Amino acid sequence: MNRTTIIATLFLVVMAVFPFLVDSAWLSIGITFLVFAVVAFSQDIILGRAGVFNMGHAIFFGMGAYTTAILNVHYGFEIIQTIPFAILIPVVFSVLLAGPIIHLRGDYLLVATIGFNIIFEQVLSNDVFGLTGGPNGIFGIDFFRVFGYELTSDTAVYYIAFALLIVTLLIIRNLDTSRYGRALYYINKNEIAAKSMGINISYYKLFAFALGAAIAGAAGCVFAIQYSAVSPESFNFMQSVMFFAIVLVGGSASLPGIIIGTFVMFVLPELFTEFKESRYLIFGAAMVLTMILRPNGVWPATFGNIPKFLKKKAREAK
Amino acid sequence: MDTLLQQLINGLTVGSLYALVALGYTMVYGVMKLINFAHGDLVAFSAYVGLTLFTQFYGSNALTLVNIIIVFTLTAIIVAFVGVLLERLAYRPLRTAPRLSAVVSALGASLVIQNGIMLIWGPNMEIFPANVFPSTSWNFGGVIISFTQLVILALSAVLMVALYLFINKTKMGTAIRATAIDQDAAKLMGINVNRVIMTIFIIGSMLGAIGGLFIGMYYRGLTFDMGWLYGLNAFIAAIIGGIGSIPGAMLGGLLLGLFNALISGYISTEWAETFTFILLIIILIVKPTGLFGENTAEKV
Repeated sequence: MNRTTIIATLFLVVMAVFPFLVDSAWLSIGITFLVFAVVAFSQDIILGRAGVFNMGHAIFFGMGAYTTAILNVHYGFEIIQTIPFAILIPVVFSVLLAGPIIHLRGDYLLVATIGFNIIFEQVLSNDVFGLTGGPNGIFGIDFFRVFGYELTSDTAVYYIAFALLIVTLLIIRNLDTSRYGRALYYINKNEIAAKSMGINISYYKLFAFALGAAIAGAAGCVFAIQYSAVSPESFNFMQSVMFFAIVLVGGSASLPGIIIGTFVMFVLPELFTEFKESRYLIFGAAMVLTMILRPNGVWPATFGNIPKFLKKKAREAK
Repeated sequence: MDTLLQQLINGLTVGSLYALVALGYTMVYGVMKLINFAHGDLVAFSAYVGLTLFTQFYGSNALTLVNIIIVFTLTAIIVAFVGVLLERLAYRPLRTAPRLSAVVSALGASLVIQNGIMLIWGPNMEIFPANVFPSTSWNFGGVIISFTQLVILALSAVLMVALYLFINKTKMGTAIRATAIDQDAAKLMGINVNRVIMTIFIIGSMLGAIGGLFIGMYYRGLTFDMGWLYGLNAFIAAIIGGIGSIPGAMLGGLLLGLFNALISGYISTEWAETFTFILLIIILIVKPTGLFGENTAEKV
């Protein structure tokens, strides 16, 4: 057992017993942390691992939340039945939206994804087809029901979010050791070299987009259950900027980095409510300062995501 | 027909505002290959500085031409100072860092300026004084042009011609163009790249400051987070024209202004932003280098 495994196990154990140690205010902060950490991890698959400059990630998060809300409130679906849709619809849209622009150079992609996010915001707040509820959003989303049990308590929602985090971490772990993960790693390192080695760049980038969108959509579903309401401002492009910043400030492709980033951006503000007025000013300054002192993020990934067995092979070859 | 002409005039006015702001983006991008996300917030900041200065001058006496010139000059100087400070603190230390670090730094700087404005002037909407310029307007056979619009159109045209001459006829202009093509080669030719970048930030911020003052006079309502809206529009204008190209930014600004005016005049105001971004995405798909952009092959 190395140091990383110990830290990771410790973190998961603390998160698992967290609801028994705290009061309800802290519990809801805990849920927020878990949900946003999952979204940040999904953004990391696109931005940190594939190296695709995506600044519209709140779209997929929002699509998941709105899908659950619309299907549940307008069409009477059970929450559990909305989950597949909350995952599939963001995936379909991620491929449709990113497909035509995936070949663009980084900065252009950045602006195009901001554009998509602003279009998404206008679609939500203009109450398209009478489904999205306009600027106020949708209220009265049901509880999570499974096998006849109503999971109404915050603790239940916490464990749903925690389970989602575990699943996300498992997906990322499998990604790292798979063919797909390696392809993304090489594309991120040197796109032209990867292309000349025969890697289909657009395909893998779209795969990253689809996977990221799927996880973000699932997180959106949990978000909708937690607040039993959704509204456009939770998914505006400033939110996307935040996810973008979390990955890069924390350290791209680095699990502890993303956790730290999420903590700083979403949990600290809840703790220091007295600084509410100036908190974004402090964040902004901290973002500049972090980048100057640690351009690769607070806790960068030490080996990128080269799978361990490859490193072993390389050592043996020497 | 009259409404069409009227929309065109309004569109040109808004377009020249976009063009003034877009020049700041395009020059920085041309030389540093960096989207200066904080530029839009500098523009918002200048509108607020202008507002404060104008209300200061209103206190004692009526606004005269001299006072107006003083306000414009002071605002331009203050904003240029902040622009240079921004480059020093947020961008210069990151010139050799990974590209995304500079983007995050720009976003951070944008948050700092935006929330700095909120802390100084408060989160509520501020109203720009109405009668900075005489409220005269002329009616040309049904098409109305206000004095403010005329000043915006005329002064923007003058500034753009001046910038064009500066870039193409002066020694500093040549240095800027050389740095934009190849920073290392320019260094070898004895060009002080730091000075070039500083000059770009001074010019860009000053043009943005004047754009911000005009935005204040034209729209009147100021909010602390308005920088992103104008900044993004101006940035789209820069992309339409081909980012890095100065005539491109001017033309892109005017075209985007006209496009916006026609969309809000004839189709819908609620969906105006959506149409702007759809236009942007179509341009990016069809011709990502814009109207005046050059195709550059990627080096292996």
